[in-house]
Amino acid sequence: MDTVGLNSYLLVAAMLFVCGVVCMAVKRNGIGILMGVELVLNGANLNLVAFARYTVLGLDGQVMALFVIVLAAAEAAIALAIALNFYNNHLTIDVDRGSELQG
Amino acid sequence: MFSTLLNQILSDSTGQPFGSLQLFGPELTLSAGIVLMLLARLCGIDRRLPTHWIALWMTFIAFSLGVFQFVEFSRSDLGTVEYFSGLMVFDRFSALFRLGLLLFLIFTITLTVISGIPDRDDAPDFYSLLMGASVGMLLMGGANHLLMLFLGVEMSSVPSYAMVGFLKGRKASSEAALKFVVYGAGAAGVMLYGISLIAGLLGTAEFPQIAIQLQTLFAGESAALSNPAIRLLMLGILMLLVGFAFKLSVVPFHFWTPDVFQGASAEVGGFLSVASKSAAFVLLVRTVLAFVTPASSADLGQIYLTLGLGIGVIAAITATFGNLAAYSQTNMKRLLAYSTIAHSGYMLMAIAALIVLRAGLEPGSTGYDDRCARAVEGLLYYLAVYFFMNLGAFAITALIRNETFSEEIEDYAGLGFQAPILAIGMGMCLFSLVGLPPLGGFVGKLFIFAAVYDSGFVHPLMWGILAIGGLNTVFSLFYYIRVMKTMYLQERPATARALRVPAWSYSGAFVLILTLPLLLPLGTAVQLVSGVAKRAAMSLFAGL
Repeated sequence: MDTVGLNSYLLVAAMLFVCGVVCMAVKRNGIGILMGVELVLNGANLNLVAFARYTVLGLDGQVMALFVIVLAAAEAAIALAIALNFYNNHLTIDVDRGSELQG
Repeated sequence: MFSTLLNQILSDSTGQPFGSLQLFGPELTLSAGIVLMLLARLCGIDRRLPTHWIALWMTFIAFSLGVFQFVEFSRSDLGTVEYFSGLMVFDRFSALFRLGLLLFLIFTITLTVISGIPDRDDAPDFYSLLMGASVGMLLMGGANHLLMLFLGVEMSSVPSYAMVGFLKGRKASSEAALKFVVYGAGAAGVMLYGISLIAGLLGTAEFPQIAIQLQTLFAGESAALSNPAIRLLMLGILMLLVGFAFKLSVVPFHFWTPDVFQGASAEVGGFLSVASKSAAFVLLVRTVLAFVTPASSADLGQIYLTLGLGIGVIAAITATFGNLAAYSQTNMKRLLAYSTIAHSGYMLMAIAALIVLRAGLEPGSTGYDDRCARAVEGLLYYLAVYFFMNLGAFAITALIRNETFSEEIEDYAGLGFQAPILAIGMGMCLFSLVGLPPLGGFVGKLFIFAAVYDSGFVHPLMWGILAIGGLNTVFSLFYYIRVMKTMYLQERPATARALRVPAWSYSGAFVLILTLPLLLPLGTAVQLVSGVAKRAAMSLFAGL
């Protein structure tokens, strides 16, 4: 049990974060970008929970993680509704195809 | 255990005269309003009683509660009161911001009633989103904990995404909402990661604790950038600033602003442009004061000074970019979006001045708190003027759209003679946005530039930023004047629809109420407003 330290958790969280940012940057599919956001949020959550376990941050970290989970769900609900609305109007979910607004 | 918790929330055991729930009254009233509106639709009451009356009345009650608290609090000698076990804080600063925001909400609801943007069926949804976003912004104004910071930012953003996409079946609206949600969710994710790093490094997430922890953390060590802990702290702060930069539409995180403002209705644009920006600025002031304290060591102060100068440079770039990009715009809402970016730049200069003064001045030197407070006071004054002039510009855009069904600037030709009240009101708002002398915007700019000038004594780069800010004011005159030129110097095409907007109508009266305060800052009103702003700003520094 004790062989896994704080650093391992932080490393996994950082990997999740980087994967999420790369996913947000390269994906052109709206849903794909939202999946990247989820990865970033979960990376941060893993950080918080790991800090709660290993540092003096304590319960604060776990409470924050709980709130973030709830918020992520609310945000996903809104984002998916907006993506569906975009699809209904454009018949695609490719964010680059939204080109009405430019200048 | 539950009853002790309830008791603690209802009547504070800490011996303070203000209970947590009591201080949270305005937010609770707004939340109750949301529930009421949704219940009213469930029971079919909204067929008889229009929903906007519920929204208006609940906001009005919340506003009265806020006024009551403000007066009551001013009478007591309390500097700051922490409530909900330190998650939130109540002082004059947050009390004043709360009053301003609730007043703004009343104005916005009135505007939507006059311009009729949500129809009868959609009204409960629209006003729930509007009031929900406002609750989030109120949380931002009183945040005292990194969790509340994130919650406030998200609670104000998530309903905004939906409001932007509210014009159903319009291609532009759905595109604007998708762009907004994609950028917004990304920025929020990065911000949260930054928060997790800061909280983990410092072992605390409460604002008053942050400074203390920073001191103990770097007590014996050098706090230069060679220290890995400092690098981690700076990484966290930068990620936190990314979230703020998105909310404030600061370069390079401004891409969403023009698209979102053009795709959304002008009423929503006005709400986002004023309320969301002012909440973010108030929260940024709180965050800055939590990190940058007089007690920070010399090394850390040096890093903060560099950070403040960097923010100043970014502010100058933002103002310049916004003004330059606004030149070529043909759509009024898009023009106002770029003008919003430019104004974020001006206001960010006040934040930069605050950081530079706080980190660069010798703590305990004469007028240390006073000079820092003046930067916050300038920001508050500017926000107060910005409230009227920017909402005025968006409101008149919406009212003209209702008459001509167009938001293109070329379609404004000849409006100066057909709808004088709208054209004169627009002129006052735009000239005030430029900062021409008799109008309110001038005094606001003066206050901010005075703070930036003062910070120039710490580092001369700030004088350069001040010069760029001054030049920008001149640039901006041209594109605002182009709108006025179209209104007054061009003939209205014979085929165009004639307008009838008499001064004695609801819309005329609304425009008058919004634009007349811009003329007020001619005399004693300046002293009155700046006095209130000064006391609110000073309350932030009293406890330190």
